[in-house]
Formats: sequence, C-alpha cells, structure tokens
Amino acid sequence: MLAKINLYLKSFLFLELLKGLSVTGRYFFRRKFTIQYPEQKTPISPRFRGLHALRRYANGEERCIACKLCEAVCPALAITIESEQREDGSRRTTRYDIDLFKCIYCGFCEEACPVDSIVETNVFEYHFENRGENIMTKEKLLEIGDRYEAQLAADKAADAPYR
Amino acid sequence: MPDIKNYTLNFGPQHPAAHGVLRLVLEMDGEVIERADPHIGLLHRGTEKLAETKPYNQTIGYMDRLDYVSMMCNEHGYVLAIEKLLGVEIPERAQYIRVMFDEITRILNHLMWIGTHALDVGAMTMFLYAFREREDLMDMYEAVSGARMHAAYYRPGGVARDLPETMPQYLESRWRSKKEADRLNQNRQGSLLDFAEDFVRRFPGYVDEYETLLTDNRIWKQRTVDIGVVSPERAYQLGFTGPMLRGSGVEWDIRKKQPYEVYDRVDFDIPVGTNGDCYDRYLVRIEEMRQSNHIIKQCIDWLRGNPGLVLTDNHKVAPPRREEIKADMEGLIHHFKLFTEGYTLPPGEVYTAIEHPKGEFGVYLISDGANKPYRVKVRAPGFAHLSSMNEMAQGHMLADVVAIIGTQDIVFGEIDR
Amino acid sequence: MSDNIKVTINGQEIETQPGRLLIDVADENDIVIPRFCYHKRLSVAASCRMCLVEVERAPKPMPACATQCMDGMVVQTRSQKAIAAQKATMEFLLINHPLDCPICDQGGECELQDVAMGFGDGVSRYTEQKRVVMDKNIGPLIATDFTRCIHCTRCVRFGDEIAGMPELGATGRGEHMEIGTYIEKSIVSELSGNVIDICPVGALTARPSRYTARPWELTRHAGVSAHDCVGSNTWVHTRHNDVIRVVPRENESINESWISDRDRFSYTAIKSEQRLTQPLMRENGDLKPVDWETALNAAAAKLNEAGGSVATLVSPQATLEEHYLAQKLTRALGSSNIDHRLTQVDFSAQQNAPVMPWLGRSLASLETLDAALIVAGSLRYQQPMLSHRLRKAVLKNNAAISSIGHVAGQYNFDMHSELAGSASRVIHDLASIASALAGVSGKALSPRLAKVTADCEVSDQHRAIASSLAKAANVAIIVGTDALPNPQLALLQELCEAIAVAAEATLGYLSVSANSAGACLAGALPHRAAAGVAVDAPGENAGEILSARHKVLLTFAANPLLDAPEAGSLADNNDSIIAISSFDNDFIRRQADLVLPLAAVVESSGSYVNVEGLWQSFNGCVHSRGESRQGWKILAALGQVLCPDEFTYSDSLAVRNELKTLCSDVELHNLCGIQSKAGGLPQADGKIEKVGCSPIYACDDMTRLSAPLQKTPLMQLQSAVIMNRQMAEDAKLLGCDQVQVTQDKGTAVLPLHIDEGVPAGCAWVPSGVDAVRDLSAAYGKIKLEKVS
Repeated sequence: MLAKINLYLKSFLFLELLKGLSVTGRYFFRRKFTIQYPEQKTPISPRFRGLHALRRYANGEERCIACKLCEAVCPALAITIESEQREDGSRRTTRYDIDLFKCIYCGFCEEACPVDSIVETNVFEYHFENRGENIMTKEKLLEIGDRYEAQLAADKAADAPYR
Repeated sequence: MPDIKNYTLNFGPQHPAAHGVLRLVLEMDGEVIERADPHIGLLHRGTEKLAETKPYNQTIGYMDRLDYVSMMCNEHGYVLAIEKLLGVEIPERAQYIRVMFDEITRILNHLMWIGTHALDVGAMTMFLYAFREREDLMDMYEAVSGARMHAAYYRPGGVARDLPETMPQYLESRWRSKKEADRLNQNRQGSLLDFAEDFVRRFPGYVDEYETLLTDNRIWKQRTVDIGVVSPERAYQLGFTGPMLRGSGVEWDIRKKQPYEVYDRVDFDIPVGTNGDCYDRYLVRIEEMRQSNHIIKQCIDWLRGNPGLVLTDNHKVAPPRREEIKADMEGLIHHFKLFTEGYTLPPGEVYTAIEHPKGEFGVYLISDGANKPYRVKVRAPGFAHLSSMNEMAQGHMLADVVAIIGTQDIVFGEIDR
Repeated sequence: MSDNIKVTINGQEIETQPGRLLIDVADENDIVIPRFCYHKRLSVAASCRMCLVEVERAPKPMPACATQCMDGMVVQTRSQKAIAAQKATMEFLLINHPLDCPICDQGGECELQDVAMGFGDGVSRYTEQKRVVMDKNIGPLIATDFTRCIHCTRCVRFGDEIAGMPELGATGRGEHMEIGTYIEKSIVSELSGNVIDICPVGALTARPSRYTARPWELTRHAGVSAHDCVGSNTWVHTRHNDVIRVVPRENESINESWISDRDRFSYTAIKSEQRLTQPLMRENGDLKPVDWETALNAAAAKLNEAGGSVATLVSPQATLEEHYLAQKLTRALGSSNIDHRLTQVDFSAQQNAPVMPWLGRSLASLETLDAALIVAGSLRYQQPMLSHRLRKAVLKNNAAISSIGHVAGQYNFDMHSELAGSASRVIHDLASIASALAGVSGKALSPRLAKVTADCEVSDQHRAIASSLAKAANVAIIVGTDALPNPQLALLQELCEAIAVAAEATLGYLSVSANSAGACLAGALPHRAAAGVAVDAPGENAGEILSARHKVLLTFAANPLLDAPEAGSLADNNDSIIAISSFDNDFIRRQADLVLPLAAVVESSGSYVNVEGLWQSFNGCVHSRGESRQGWKILAALGQVLCPDEFTYSDSLAVRNELKTLCSDVELHNLCGIQSKAGGLPQADGKIEKVGCSPIYACDDMTRLSAPLQKTPLMQLQSAVIMNRQMAEDAKLLGCDQVQVTQDKGTAVLPLHIDEGVPAGCAWVPSGVDAVRDLSAAYGKIKLEKVS
C-alpha cells in the first residue's frame, strides 16, 4: 500500500525526471569537455596510422629498395611499384604510387618494410580538390617524409621497443 | 464510409533512425505495423569472397569493418578460427590483452548502442555522454593499435604489439595553456594500463548517471516496456544470441558456456532479463557494461604483474621482431615469406564463436591447405536479430519500430558483410 | 612385376623398383623431402645434405637423393632425428647467407626461403661475421651474387652435363669455396640462361629483367619460341601488360626443362625503340604517320591496282595463320608470286621437294640414335635444343655423329668425324660418302648419280663415315639450314636422299626460323597452294621476286636486306613496296612506301609447326604495342576490303581450323626422289671462298634488336671474319684487327678472329647483320684486305 502511494507520489512529483535534470544540470555548470578543433587537438599516439610517407636516410638517399613487400602485403592493392636497376647498380623504384582511395590504413605496409621506408605519419587532415590527387606518387610521398622526418623519427624511436 | 487502405511505407535506407542502410518496407494499418520487411544488401562488400583471394592475415583489416562499432571482437573471432586450425599456442599475456580489449570493445559497442537508441527514442543527452566515454576508449584503441576504430590489432598467435608504457599527451598551444594541458593530461601520466584503470574507476559512476537519466524515466519506459517482446522459446527459435537472448531470460553466454582465452579465469556474471522486452534488453546491456568494467579491472591487475610475450615466437605464423630481421637470416626469411605469401593452414574446417557485444559472432573457415582460405563464412549475430524484425514489430506502432531497431543493435556492416 | 620391392616411407608402403633413388620415389608419392642440390635432370651430388632422412637400422640420417631403395627399407622423413638433421643443415646453410632477400630477385621463388620456412628454425643462433664473396662478371645475360651461393653445384653440373661446357666450377674448399668461371670471362654457352632457373638461390639471376618484378606479380602465358624450328615450349611471364621474362615450359618430347638463351632473352626486342607503333606512309620521300583507315585503304588500293603484278615475301617466322592468309590474299589477287624461302638460292628441284620438309622422326628419338650425319648445319647455334638431343645420344649411346659442314669444331660432344669446307666442298664430300656407302652397303647408286660422282675422291675419312652409317641400326641424316643458300641445293638433296636410302636412315631437313614447315603447309610457296597442292602456273620464287619488277611488293615480317642475301636492288625493281613489320629497319626506312605496324611475336596469337610436324598454337601474352596489330587481323582486313566474302574470320583459330581441314590428309615424307639437273660436281670458286650463316643472334629482326643478346660474347665472336691461322698468314692479314671483305660490288669491314675450325680456302663471314648488308650470296668468292 505504502509502495503504491510512494510510486504515485514519485510519478506526480516528476521525481525521476528531476533526478535526471540534476545530472544534466550538474554538467551544465561543469568545465566543458569539448575540444575546439581544429585549433585544439587530441593527443596522437606514436603508433597512429595516417597519411603515408617515404623516408630517407640522413645522407639524403631514399630508403626504399623496391623489395615490394608492402605491395604484396597490401590487402587493398593500393600500392603500385615499378622498379629497375639504377645506374649505380642499386635496386630502386621508378614508380611508387599509393592510391589513398583504396588504402584501408591497416599499417601492414609499415610493418612489412624492412628498411622503415614506407611509414604512416600522424597527419590525418588532408583532402583532395582534383581528380587524380588521391594517387600519392613517389615524389609526393618523399616530400611528406622530408617534411615530417623529425616527428617520424621520434615516433619510430618511441615505438621501437614494441615492434 | 471512406475507403480505408493499408499503407506501404518505405522506411530508410536513408532514414536517420535506420542505423545505417536498413531499408524497411512496412505495411501499415493506420499507424499499426502489419508486416515489416527488412531489405538487406545495401552495404554488401563481399568480405567473405575477398577473404578467399588474400593470405589469411590480410583479411584482419576487413574484419574490423564488419561490425564497425565492435572492431576488435570481429578480429577476435577470425584469428581464433585460424589459431584453432593451426593449433598455435597464444601467450597468456596476449590472451589477457585480448580479453581486456574485447571488453573495452563491448563497452564501446554498448555506449554507441545506448547513445543512438536513446537518441532515436528521444533522449538527446545520452548520446553526448556516451560519446564522451567512447573517446577515452578510442584513445586506448589508438594507443595500442594506431587507429581509433579499425585497429587490425589481433593477429593469429597473439596481438600486434605490447601495451605502450606511455600515453600520448595533450599539447600546450596558443589556445590551450600549460595548466589546462596539464589538467587534461592528469590521467595520461602513466602507461596505458594506468589510463585504463583510471577509466575503470570512473566508469561505474557514469553508468549510474545513464541509469539516472533513463532507467526510471517515464518516457523511456513508455517507449521500451512491453515493446518487442520475445519469449525465451521464440528467442531460441529465431537464433537470438547475446543480449537479445539474455533479455528474454535465457542464461547463455559463450564466455561462460564455452570459455575461450582466459574467460574462465576472470570473474563476472551474466545478467538476464525477465520479460524479453526492449526495456529488459536495455537493463541487460547496462549491466553488461558494469560486468565488462569489472573484467577489465581484473585484466589490468593481471597484466601489471605479468610482462612477457604478446605474440607467439613461432615464426612460421607470426613475423619475428624487427631487430631480428635486421641481423638474423632466419628472421629475415620468415619476415619476407610471412609478408608476401603468409602461412598455410592444414586442410580442414573449423568453426569458432565468440561472445561479441551483439551476440554470437562465428567464423566458419575451410582451408584446402593453401595460404588463403577456401571459404570463410561469418555468422553475424545481427543477421538473425534483424530477421525477427517482422515478428517483433507486428502489431506495434510505427514509432516503436524505431525502438525495436535500437534494441536489436543493428549494424549493417556485419549483416551485409 | 616380380622384381618389385617394397619400401615404407612415413608409414606408407610403396612398391617400386630396386635401385631407384629414395627422393624420386618420395616425389612420386607426394612425400615432400627438402633439397637443394638434387635436380632430376642432373647427376647426384649429395652435397647440400638437406634431404637427410632417417632410415631404419642406419646409424646416421641418409641423404635421400643418394640412397637407393632396397627391399623392406623403412624411412622416416619427419621423425625427430630427420627433423633435427634437416634443421641443422638449414642452420648451417643460412650462416653465411647474406640478408639480401629484400633486394634479391629470387625473393618469393627462392628455394632457400621456401625450405627455411618449411624445415628450418625460426631464429638464428649465429652472431659472428658472415662470409663475403667478390662478384664476378659472367656476361650480359646472367647477374651474379656469389655471396648468396650455397654451393649446391647445380650450375656446375649443368655446365658439365647439359651445356657441355664446363665453364662454371668450384674453387677452394670449405668456407673458401667459390663458384665462378675458372678464368674471369663471360659464359659463351648457348644454353647458359638455364642456370638461372636451376639456381635454388639468388646467386644467378637474369640480368635483362634484373630488379624489375617479383614472381608473385607475374602472370604466365604458354608460349612457343619463335627462333628455331624446334618450337621449344615457354612460359611468358608478364606483368601489367609487359613481358618480364621467358622461362622454359617443361615438355619432355620437345625441350625437356631447358630453352636456349635466344628463346629466353629475345623478348627484350619487343620493347626496343625500333618497334613500329603506327602506320606510316611515304610522302615526299619521308615516312609520315597516318591512321589505320588511311593506311589500309591505301594498301588495298595499291594491291587492287596491281592485281597479278603483286609479289609477296613472307618471313618464315610468321605464324601459320599469317602464311595462310598472305598466300590466300596474293592468290586472290591473281598472283602466285609468294615465297617464304628467303635464304634459298637454288630452286631447280622445288617441284619434287617434300610437301613439308621435316625431321623425319621425333625430336625425342634423336636421343636413341646410333649414328647420324649432319649435313651443312651448325646445330648448336641454329637449333640449340636439337644439338642437345644429339649430345645426349653421344653420351648415352655412344652414337657416332659425323658432320659435313663449313666450320669444324663447333660441337660440345665427341664427333665421330668432321669434314669442313666451302659450299662446293660439301657436295664433294657428300658425293664421296655416297659412293663409299654404295661400296659398303652394296646398294649401288642410281646410274645418274654414279655418273655425277664418278670422279670424286674417296678418302679414309669418307669411308669411316660411310661405314659408321652403314653399321649402325638407328641412323639419321640431318640436313641443316646452311644447305639452303647452297647454289647446288638440288644436288645436295639428291645425294642426301641416296645416302639415307643406302644407310637405311631417316632423312631430316631442318628449317630456318620457327615456321618454315608451317609456311609450306600453308602454301606460302609459288608452286604450291595450301596443303601442298601444286598450282597450275607456278609464280616467282623468292630469288625471282627479289630481282624481277612488280607493281607492288608486299613484305610480311621480312627484312629482305638482311634476311635474304641478294636484295640490293629491290627498290628500283618495284613501283611500290608495302611492308608489314614489327620493327623499323633500314629496308623500311629506305624503301617501303607504306608501312603497317605488326604485333611482335609474343603479342600475337597463332600457331607454329615445328620440325617434327607438331602444330603448336598459342595466344598473345600482352597487348600489341601502340597501334600495331596482329598479322592475321591485318591480312584479314586487307582481304575483306579486296574480296569481302572470303576473309570473314573472327579469330586466328578460325584461320587455323580452315587450314587444318585442308591439311587433313597431308602425308609427311622426305624421300621424294629429287633429281638435280647437275651433270657433274661443282668446281671450287676462287682462292678464298666465303662460308657463313646468320650468327646465333641475328636470325631475325627480333634477335637482332635484343640488346642483351647482341652484347653476348657468342654474338661478338660470330660478327667477325673468321679464318684459320695459316689462311690469315697467307693472306697477310694476321695481326690486323679489321679486315675489308669484298664480294661482287659490295664491301664490308669486320673484325678478324682466328679459329682453326674454319677450313683452308674459306673465310667465315656472317650474314644477316648490318655490317654485311652490301655483300651478296652466302657462298662465293671474296677478297679480303687489310684495313689501313
């Protein structure tokens, strides 16, 4: 009997709604969780898999030796490599294309690379304005690698103990 | 008397409450559903067929994209099938990591579910709170795998990499003072485990808040109680699994009944409902979040005290560590072969199932001895659940269809595959 | 069989014959035993120790490749002991192997990788310094990296046993063992490329395709090699519509597991800069690109106008379908002036010549020969795989192989007897052997031949050859392709027939390029239509076509300037020349008025008929380059414009089937009773006579344009004037690098080599290379001068 009255009272007084409102009300006056993107950014892990890059050695020589492991392991067949013997006799790519529309960012290329050449940077903000820009050519990838080399080196060093 | 006709209503596939690309053809008598006919296939990507053309490991990334709100659990079902046929041993630490991330994934999934379900039914705020918590969980995803969603973290033989000892930090910037950054970084000072523990400590409080907002809320109850009732017998017959089955009062959980990994070593309970309506399923999932939180806590404690391998050192299956490939011929050859041809599975067939956040996620795999599967069949829980749409919606109002879609926790990635 | 024995491998009871190798028996029963040094076509070395298996009651693991099966033997290939032995071997093999996989072309098809994956350990325990071996340059075809070598000695055994040139060998012992050419030099074998295939690691790889592709990227297409009449089966490996390499396709009855370097590397030409990729038309003296429609219409108009005054020269390398359509088109225009016999000079006996000159027996049966006579052929350089079969006959049966040719000392097996001389000398020798044989066998020569051979001298050597042929049971007379330019071809054939009859031997004719035999069947002959049906009014033969005047000369895939010896005055003779060709060459640049670009060999579908009469069809492996088109399509298109009802083919198969039906009752026989018009033996011609043929890599445009083949030492060697020391001294040429050759009005300047194989009174001068374009017939008198 008492429970019934209790229930009636509760229902009549909108008690459960008021309790809910108190939760939202508390948050209303709390500090905001919102991150003001793009000015502010969330932390990015050194393992992050973003835009691709090709790295160079410190002496400016490209790392890639055209072993094609990344091409073979790519589940989405996004990588296309053509290679030949360079004049100095070394094995090099003449073409290294990544189709960013095909890429699924699984990071297998990075894992496969025996010389840490193809890497994924922590850049996730990029866009294309024209058809065909989704193909990252060797030149573009090397340029990205040059631009983010410091960050890349730090990230690889941070993650080295786990790989 | 004017002629009264039944309406046939096309619901979706672009409807915001359709959770993706569900197209429902509803035959209505006024506002009452007479028949609900779900149409599928709009998100079909041929994952199973694709898997037949790729070495085993390359399909892991596609598994993420089946049920794209419980990524690692999908991977888990797949790698488990490979491991079972291969007979490879998984390091204990990897098993604990997998269990921990399975449960993190379960919370991720349930948060997504509760957010959208409540939003569909009319409770906007839940969505914001759920996504606030998801942010922390996704940070954990990113910290271990490098991706916030499509992790590709589980590998046959263990997991890709060990848990990191540091968490990425918020950086000071023009818009964020040092003090502000420090405040945000408070729980990021230690390892991933510290970060997770902090979350585990906070999370029950959050769940309490959700319950304050919903459990007794009269609108929520009006929209969910006695909606989409499924009897335990029917639930069996319809092939329900997971919370859908437990909501109908059947105590069935693969983690308990056929324990895999280390689920037999962690303590948790299976919540069950009594009425089999949307409200009970809501309560079951809320409790599951609390249980998952409990499991995560136990995993954290174990993982702290037990460093070790996270990927099998059987290099016929798992590639060697990077330093090994730089100086070690065997290492280099195995690396090369694993990343090009992969490994072969002995001929045979295998079915493995895991307790996925949505139910029983099974992978049936046939190998003909090659380095690619002969056939992969994914048993997606959502498919069985969606099939019951007609039965669950019949006799209900149009607005209840939205609640039923919500309670079924439909994700089209896994249904259409 | 009663003498069968039983062995048990891994619990599986297997019945086999005694003395068979364990590894062979295991292979037949799908039991995998790892191996490196064992190769089914090479001798057993048992040097790699990878195939160690456990044999019951044997104290130590035994190498399966060197253990013979015995009754009741119980073998375990995967027992603990066997696995331990295999793992240990693998570990030792990898100790000194460099970490090259990512840059090694073998990666992905490397037996070392596969076996390490399947049978080796996952981690290395070796931390010390690895061995490094200096690289050696062994020529433009094979790239070496001997640090990767695991000393299986397959290449060494290949050189010894198959190629017959012990060029590679192992020096040093233990860790210091190195494989290499004994003296730093390039490999000069015509089969050298096969070591690339048999090398289990990346120590020997193909240089032309170096670093260009990975095996898993390649799609393979079945092909048939296009450069000799053997018709070796190949796999053409392509990637992204690009031919990457050509490797042998195993065919026990044709090429076993091998192919010649020419078949392997000639594909490099299809990417050469001289490929024609669009139709060209001459305007104001220059060739200008035009579109196909214009070109086809112009060609059709010219042909239509010319009518019966059309002459067609078809390369013997063209496919059966192309030959058939070319003759159909020519004959549809009312002309029978079509020929493919570009090198032939003497056509006097063509009416009696075999419908399809062929080997007279199967290729594989050459291995079982007891004796053979090779007439005017350098098989090693012209049909390398055929020479290999004869070599096997010598090694296996101790066959007595004799040769009458122009150059001695070419063969890599022991010859019974070798005679060399000028074109007329060959006829003399044949006549002597024929009369000697008549004496030995008791079968008298025909009165006509008896008269012709009356005054020939029979030496002991002739008698020896004759008796070797008469004594042996299984004999073949093989007429090589050097006979074709012989001015006395008819007499040569007549003598060979007589010898074959007297020795009860098979008579075999080898033919130039891949499809001479097919060309004869298809009717690309002036006197015979398809299936060898004689025509009422024979047209002009190749020699006449080259010298007579026509309104239109149509050349198909032929480069008369180089392929035919006497083509100097072509342009003046013809109003108009239409050339269908894959490659740009001097002939096209100077003389063609209309050029239709032709798909190259691997780009086209079609069929070849090889020297044993086998029809082998193939599909195009890549799209034809640029706007070039397949030959049968071009000819069918021309045909459709000219006579629309007769050229309605949907694909090359339809053409082939039409011809196949026509040829259903063609019978092959080589003994046709050829009678020459010669009244006596020919006289020697001049003080120094020219002998020679196309060098090994100048037999067609494709090989001529293959850069790696041109750089080989073999090609360098054969692109020179070759004389013996005495001759050079007599001509006062000894010591000079370059000599000038004068024949008729033409001159050529070539380097001079000294080789004792070239007989006295002769100088070897190549044909078919650019440098000798101005010289004429393959045989004849020449003048040699020092170049100051």
